[in-house]
Amino acid sequence: MTTAPNSALDPEVLTKRFFEEFDRLTKSSDTFSKLAANRLDIQIGLTPKTVIWSLNKAKLYHFTPVVPPEQRHPVPILLIFALINRPDIFDLRPGNSFVEYLLSQGYDVYMLDWGRPGLEDAHYNFDDYVLEYMPRVVRAAQRHSGKRDFSLVGWCIGAMITTLYATMRPDDGIRNLVLLTAPLDFADKNAGPFNRWLTTEFYNVDELIRQHGNVPGSMIDYGSKMLKPVENFISSYFKLWDNLDNPAVVESYMAMNKWVTDLVDFPGGAFRQWVVEFYRENRLMEGTLKLRGEKVDLRNLRCNFLNVIADKDHIVPTCQSVTIMDKVGTRDKLLLHMRGGHIGMMVGSGANKRVWPQIDGWLKKRSV
Amino acid sequence: MTNTRNDALDPTDPVGAWRTMRDANLDAWAKGMATMVNTESFSKALGIQLDTMLAASAPMQKMVSQYMESYLAQASMPSRAEVISLAQRMTNIEMRLDDMDARLDDILFAVRALATVQSPTSVVDAPPAGDATPEPDATPESEEKSAPRRGRKAAGE
Repeated sequence: MTTAPNSALDPEVLTKRFFEEFDRLTKSSDTFSKLAANRLDIQIGLTPKTVIWSLNKAKLYHFTPVVPPEQRHPVPILLIFALINRPDIFDLRPGNSFVEYLLSQGYDVYMLDWGRPGLEDAHYNFDDYVLEYMPRVVRAAQRHSGKRDFSLVGWCIGAMITTLYATMRPDDGIRNLVLLTAPLDFADKNAGPFNRWLTTEFYNVDELIRQHGNVPGSMIDYGSKMLKPVENFISSYFKLWDNLDNPAVVESYMAMNKWVTDLVDFPGGAFRQWVVEFYRENRLMEGTLKLRGEKVDLRNLRCNFLNVIADKDHIVPTCQSVTIMDKVGTRDKLLLHMRGGHIGMMVGSGANKRVWPQIDGWLKKRSV
Repeated sequence: MTNTRNDALDPTDPVGAWRTMRDANLDAWAKGMATMVNTESFSKALGIQLDTMLAASAPMQKMVSQYMESYLAQASMPSRAEVISLAQRMTNIEMRLDDMDARLDDILFAVRALATVQSPTSVVDAPPAGDATPEPDATPESEEKSAPRRGRKAAGE
């Protein structure tokens, strides 16, 4: 009995494929050598902006509007990012920038950059950021825009800060509050590695702060990468290698890598509070949190409230974000489940089609 | 192009086959590692590792700190603690200046409002500082309102 020749084992086909791969390898090696030699650089955070206010290391930016004043929404937006990493992630690169999108939709956009804390800032904690910095930032934005009402958008730890601020100063003109992947409820000690690592008795946060002042950005980065060690230390490089002949993928990788590796130290006082009062004692949700002696009662959060969570968030598991919905005092509230990870939800390839339009749709109705 | 992922194994593409195998292995490894780092024993090991590192570095840090302090004192130079203290005082002053600036703006607004009430045609209200197209007849006073501390172009942006 005879069988048809198997094209899969045809030496000619195999050789052809091998040479195709060899050709691709040659091109990839060229890109790789440029990458390794730092000859390929990419700029992030390129949307034109102006510094309108500064205090210590913090700066408040106003992005140049692209829509005529008469077509703009009357309620400006203030973007607040985490204390760690740079806020450039809001404005990663042209074509993949949340800021650019908001401007094109007719919003007046402000963004706070917390800056890079020095040792002189090691004592700062959430009390300072929420009650000293935030009111001044908001005041500066209000005076610059000439508008009293504004929308606050907080991301990650920035979402915690904006939540605390909106709760403690509900009459400051906050019309809308948008939280992105907000870590708020740490009741479930088995939810995610961070919760386990930081709540163990062996994690000596006091000695860490005593010795370092601020927690080094490299340590935070290492911790974040250890959440998914194989993906972060191995797979991502293989994926890059596989796509080195694809300029779009390389550019996207470099932009993200530039942001990820631009490390910022976590102010010591805030880190201690983050670990002890939030992760370990869950004071915000327990109703025992006090900032400057003032009790934080989530029922005082009365502005319109949008809570956006990512279903594949390995840094902030969804259970840390959802429970606030039952605790806030506002009636206008919406929980939005989106696809993606902690950062990828807002800067991934589908963000401008899935997430941003939903946020815009919600904000638009409440920015009149 | 073998970088186009396809779950089906293509026997004519030996590199692609190797890649598929590699990814399958990595995925399995990733799942195992993700589970491992989320265990109590790993958390304990991580905490102990950090604690050991801190315990080891503490005496050295103390020694260097003491040496530097005495050296800087002998060289009549400020110590780290003194520089930090100075920087903190500067920030406090900056905060007070910011508050005074805001109060001054309030006073200016109130004075202008008062002047407008008294002689409605003599003074024109200032537009918001952030308005991209200010009123064409805005007076020089209205521009002065925000000129000294606003409008810096983002350096290095």
